[in-house]
Amino acid sequence: METRNKVVSISQAIREHVKEGDVVYIGGLIHAEPYFAVQELIRQEKKNLIISSAGATLWGDMLVGAGCVRRMITSYTWNPVPMPGYGFRRALEKGIPRPLEMEEYSLLALGLAYFAGSMGLPFIGAKTMLGSDMVGQHGAGAGKRIKEIDSPFAGDRSLAIAPINHDVGIVQVQRCDPEGNAQVWGCQAITTYGMNACKRLIVCAEEIVSNEVIRRDPDRTVVPGFKTSAVVEAPWGGYPSFMQGCYDRDWAFYPKYARQTETVRGFNKYLEDWVYGIKDHSEYVDKIGTEKRRRLSEVKRDTDPTPYGCHDRFN
Amino acid sequence: MEMEISNVERMIIAAGREIRNDEKVFVGTYWPLVACLFAKMNHAGSIYLIFEAGYVCDRIPPRIPLLSGDPSLAAASSCVGDSFTTLGMILHGGWCDVAMLSGANVDRFGNINTTCIGPYRTPSTRMAGSGGGCDLSCLAKKVIILLEHDKMRFPEKLAFITSPGYLRGDDSRYQAGLKRETGPHKVVSTMGVFGFSSENREMVLEGFFDNTSIDEIGRHVQWPLKVAENVKEIPIPSEDETHVLRDRVDPEGMFINRYRFAGKKSAV
Repeated sequence: METRNKVVSISQAIREHVKEGDVVYIGGLIHAEPYFAVQELIRQEKKNLIISSAGATLWGDMLVGAGCVRRMITSYTWNPVPMPGYGFRRALEKGIPRPLEMEEYSLLALGLAYFAGSMGLPFIGAKTMLGSDMVGQHGAGAGKRIKEIDSPFAGDRSLAIAPINHDVGIVQVQRCDPEGNAQVWGCQAITTYGMNACKRLIVCAEEIVSNEVIRRDPDRTVVPGFKTSAVVEAPWGGYPSFMQGCYDRDWAFYPKYARQTETVRGFNKYLEDWVYGIKDHSEYVDKIGTEKRRRLSEVKRDTDPTPYGCHDRFN
Repeated sequence: MEMEISNVERMIIAAGREIRNDEKVFVGTYWPLVACLFAKMNHAGSIYLIFEAGYVCDRIPPRIPLLSGDPSLAAASSCVGDSFTTLGMILHGGWCDVAMLSGANVDRFGNINTTCIGPYRTPSTRMAGSGGGCDLSCLAKKVIILLEHDKMRFPEKLAFITSPGYLRGDDSRYQAGLKRETGPHKVVSTMGVFGFSSENREMVLEGFFDNTSIDEIGRHVQWPLKVAENVKEIPIPSEDETHVLRDRVDPEGMFINRYRFAGKKSAV
């Protein structure tokens, strides 16, 4: 099998694969959020992006506040303390630093839209969201991407959801091989579908492993390597959020972020600290701090060995 | 000296009491987390706590989950799927008995607004949005809504219906296409417990806490509040219930003593 080594730096991955105006899928929901990669989007001043994600937390607030986002496709935008995301509110209430369009779905409907996109389905049907103001004139592209129909079989009022496809996706996973076979564990929400509905995919991995490791546990692979465009070695790339089995969430970071970013000046200072003031991955890891990394990574507990087997001969 | 019982604790315990053992309970974020865990630890040990991210939690988590996607839930879940497992196959597929969620604003017919105040395209205040809340409101057989009571949060008509309740009352919810056996069941606030009229589906006061009155609650909603004929005072949390909540569910006061956690008074 001829294979390609797709491992590159984050700056090369973002520079090559994310263009101005792209529809960008950001993986995760609370878990497995690619903060390090998102910071690189801001550092490279990518603009007019259409950002698509299950729920936009601090990383989304940062992108919006930094002026990178034209449109947000999501089910939820907040600082999960819970406190408001002030970057979001300034953009949506006051157009600061620029106006923001919203395309909003319920979480299940968004997952179904990703699923339809990943499979190239013409549309997908459901019974959720009926009666919500998100359907019709208010939401989801002013009715162009969600429609009420009568089911072609039972005739009952149903929802038809249009497929969503992305130019590029960015995900944070536990491990990946150089070919781009990415493996995850822990709650995936709708990430598997979102990341498979992308023309190009950037996989940021806590650990790069050999293909042999991948093939001893191939059920964990969520995207086959031929769909991956770039692989980035990025341990702690999900900080301050958590990665199952790697590190816990830095709980104190979130209210601190809220307090600091309540004003534009505070928000810009935050970007200076955590984005512009960091030039590469090792500086990001240093900034988190040794003691903090030690405390957050006290989460180790392995699964029992799984006798997956290897059926390799005739008997 | 025992700390005096707070209004938030009254709300949590009253909501938890609504849950029956063996039910499959879909848990929204924030107050529902505490109330559902209280139910599981107090009187309903065999309930399943189901979360939008994918956790199907059947045991007690090692620490109180601080949000609905909390990693501590993995250690207490015999099944960790994804949103299609929980929101899809369990909720949309009709296996969920009861859903508990928070509402920023709730109206006369149990519709919830978590999107915006003011017009959608030019909001004066923007809130977080739906998450799985709209799915829960649409699909669960019984929906229980929790919120801290404030007159501003109970408008007669919402600026935006994020998550549908009984819509405009009567059969309007079912005419919109939602299934007959679904809909709002209770609203539990820090002042009392409300049900919904079987006649026209509007909110009806069923119980009031010991430290308030029917009249006071009526003055804290923005429409003429219907009161049940058999409205009664809600039993104050017992010593056992208080002990379960304070010493087992939330011993570090992460929710109950909110100032320690968020450092600020406001929620979403």
